[in-house]
Amino acid sequence: MLTFHGYRRSQGLPGVRNAVAVIPSVFCANTVARRIAEHVAGAMAFCHPVGCSQVGLDLELTARGLKGLGRHPNFYGVVVVGLGCERFQARELAESIAASGKPVEMLVIQDEGDTLQAIEKGVTFASRLVEEASRQRREEFPLSEFSLGLKCGGTDATSGLAANPALGWATDQICEAGGRAIFTEVTELIGAEQILAGRAVNPRVAGQILSTIGNMEKRLSAATASAEVQHRSALISPGNEDGGLTSVVEKALGGIYKAGTGPVSGVVGYGEYPGGPGLYLLDCVGHDGEAVTGLVASGCQAVVFTTGRGTPTGFPGVPVIKITGNRTTWERMRFNLDFNAGDIMEGTPIAEVGAELLEKILRIGSGEPSRAELLGHDELFCITRI
Amino acid sequence: MAKALKINPRDNVAVLLGEIRPGEMVDVTIGSEVAHIQARQQIAFGHKIALVNLAIDQPIIKYGEEIGRALTAISVGDWIHLHNLYCRRGHQDGAK
Repeated sequence: MLTFHGYRRSQGLPGVRNAVAVIPSVFCANTVARRIAEHVAGAMAFCHPVGCSQVGLDLELTARGLKGLGRHPNFYGVVVVGLGCERFQARELAESIAASGKPVEMLVIQDEGDTLQAIEKGVTFASRLVEEASRQRREEFPLSEFSLGLKCGGTDATSGLAANPALGWATDQICEAGGRAIFTEVTELIGAEQILAGRAVNPRVAGQILSTIGNMEKRLSAATASAEVQHRSALISPGNEDGGLTSVVEKALGGIYKAGTGPVSGVVGYGEYPGGPGLYLLDCVGHDGEAVTGLVASGCQAVVFTTGRGTPTGFPGVPVIKITGNRTTWERMRFNLDFNAGDIMEGTPIAEVGAELLEKILRIGSGEPSRAELLGHDELFCITRI
Repeated sequence: MAKALKINPRDNVAVLLGEIRPGEMVDVTIGSEVAHIQARQQIAFGHKIALVNLAIDQPIIKYGEEIGRALTAISVGDWIHLHNLYCRRGHQDGAK
């Protein structure tokens, strides 16, 4: 039986890392949050440009994203940093995270006095959480306790032929074992909605898939309706076409290959965790940072990121595992990439490469650092906006 | 000899795994079987080659699904791309 070694949490799935997150509720608290994390090894800051001067759904997405991040199982505990007058209050964030059962500390700069006093208090909080976390040991968990995020970027012809099929094979194994996998990039699914709806577990989920993709298409149509920006309406990039992709349907089909062949159990909103095992569609755009942040804010302990052209990016506290099907990219970007699926191009069966990939995912899930973690890549934290 | 991959048994196109020149033969692999077809044009790595003759408006199948339809008549060995495949999705006006 396939297993991995993670950190038990009082609620929900185990963590595959045991970090302490320092999360500002508003961008005004970014420097204080960053300096707290700089003083405490094992703590990491999540600076962002949002949390105030927003209304309605835009502010709600910020709230959901930061709450989903804070309750993520890879974080032992969280220090929430507020300014005091912001619209998204530190207290709301801290209370939401505390409901997940993990230790949370909160400080508000305007209550503490000034930057220096806020940093001092935050360092005290963060260092105590790191010490507590260090006493925890990894335990063995079955594959059913794993939740994997699926993403692709820097796509070329090998992505749809090798990297995504290998990942799809691993996705099927995780879901069949009672685990979870989440795919997103709804902007990239336009054209494949009927095929995906046909994989829904029931008509209600099929309807949710169709409306999620339909709403995204309407949003893009509205954004490109003006004649001034019509030249920016293409859903396929020139690089995609040069690489041999001809239609949006073809591009979408190559992308959904990474979601395997099993049934789609449900659709989750931004910042929402799946209610049970299976394969889920997350309602989020395809932008690498927004999508990976969305997958993290839906509880994915690790993300597998397939890339033909090669990309170095990572996410703090969450392994982003890079796999390519392109042998040239594998050789050129060796230190940025975790796994080569290119043997599929030479005729090695997908199942063989997929099984090796799943082993690699579980090794990284058990503590082996991904290349993005080794190199300190942290570019992918990016709260989505409307 | 260049190689191409037919991804799904239903597909009527294969994807080139290397560059090929007009008149060259291509090994098309599907599972453990290999078929040989002659390329009619130069086709780049990652691009599609027709495995059957297609009349105008016939579906073009890749990954076992329709990715578009034939804009012109297509012969076995033809390069398939923007010049001879149309797909109404992703175009504001829905035009061919």
